[in-house]
Amino acid sequence: MTIGADRYATRGDTFVLLVCVVLSLVAMSLPDRVREPMASGLRRTVLWPLLQLQTQSEELRTSRARFAAVVSERDSATLASTLVGELQSENARLRRLIGLGSRLGSGFVPAEVLHQATPTDPFTVVISAGSRQGVRPLAPVVAPEGLLGIVSWADARTSVVSTWANPEFRASGIAADGSVYGIVGPHGASGPGAWLLELRGVPYGQDVRFGTLILTSGLGGVLPRGIPLGTIVALASENGWERTYLVRPSVAPGAVSHVMVLNPSRGGGGGTAGGGSDLRSSFLPDTAKPVTPAPPAEVPRRRVRPVDTTAAPDSAIPSDTVKHP
Amino acid sequence: MRAGHLVRTWAAPLLLVALHFSVRNRLGADRFAPDFLLLALLTYTIRARPGASAAAGFFVGLLGDALTPASFGAGALAHTVVGYLSSRAKTVFFADILLVNGGLFFAATWLRNFLVALASGKLSGPQLGWELLIWSPLQGLTTAITGVVILAVFRQWLSVRLGTR
Repeated sequence: MTIGADRYATRGDTFVLLVCVVLSLVAMSLPDRVREPMASGLRRTVLWPLLQLQTQSEELRTSRARFAAVVSERDSATLASTLVGELQSENARLRRLIGLGSRLGSGFVPAEVLHQATPTDPFTVVISAGSRQGVRPLAPVVAPEGLLGIVSWADARTSVVSTWANPEFRASGIAADGSVYGIVGPHGASGPGAWLLELRGVPYGQDVRFGTLILTSGLGGVLPRGIPLGTIVALASENGWERTYLVRPSVAPGAVSHVMVLNPSRGGGGGTAGGGSDLRSSFLPDTAKPVTPAPPAEVPRRRVRPVDTTAAPDSAIPSDTVKHP
Repeated sequence: MRAGHLVRTWAAPLLLVALHFSVRNRLGADRFAPDFLLLALLTYTIRARPGASAAAGFFVGLLGDALTPASFGAGALAHTVVGYLSSRAKTVFFADILLVNGGLFFAATWLRNFLVALASGKLSGPQLGWELLIWSPLQGLTTAITGVVILAVFRQWLSVRLGTR
């Protein structure tokens, strides 16, 4: 059968096209408080079986790797149990092997990231855990390398995560040695620094070495203290008495497949300012010393600060200080 | 006859929707893995009128927008336009030739990504350039190859020839 002979567009077809285009434009102009319930309704009804299918597929895809890891951990545990005298130290090593989940202990919800095909996928991602698993809006979402973003909407079984790449993302950051405070946000979608973060509001007199790890400070009560945000890679700009540094993010939103959603009891999601637990030891197990912030006003100008090499995630990063004009 | 027509119309698109949510995550990075959801729409438009194709595109786009709220509405707009143009294009080109359909799949994927990037306003500058010149063509290529394979498998139902005219 030859097709297409009777498929030239009629006025009815053109009318349907125009209606759909107008509806699309209306959808684009809707405010967040209206579009989120609409999107949530679609995810809970039409898309629910498909998202379950994708979740199952993700679990199946990683089951082989998980099995190998479990076998490895079991073998290591067996070996450790034979060495009674060194059991404690071996146990600590195994806990490091098991990963971030063990270090966090409890108070988190594991989830798979359900990536989509559109170019805007890295800005917001859907994860396979929702309010039934204890996920709440504003809960921090972390990968083993650091912060991915914040839950912006929680359905029953899925949630929407606004990643650090989203233009609205902001976090209070602090250097790993506690010397520098600033506001961390996305650098922007254009220019050579696309897909980077930036640390704003650093006083002009404070030096920040390249390779310095930036953590969440815990200020604001949304994000707990001590989650890695990224690493200082360059000086972006100097505006008056403040500087802005480029930060290479710890987590690539397009590449992460498994995440953990932290519970509000950890200090996120409406806790007190600066309160909550310090997660630095969870993400940087070799760093036993907690963050001891130094007030920016007490820091002398042009003082060169040493790099905390134990906190630096990548030894390839040059340790040069920022050159002053 | 009527039931057979319904099966022919919906079997391939529904299979592609299932593949999108079950197999796609194993076919490489998201940026260039084939988009089965778009293929489902384009396969549907082979046998549908332009109006129905536009409506189907709007529905598919809205579903995609629910999963990527950063560009809510942009996906619906892009898929509406792509669905309508795809249906119209197949009245102009030879709709029953496999390679022509492959070219249409490539062009539709690129156009969809272009419209989403443009309408969402999230991408600009070099980022937009990379998306349109590197990632979208790659995704279009993988989507076209996958689409050609699907059409070859379902050629009896979709009335597609395996040669050139």
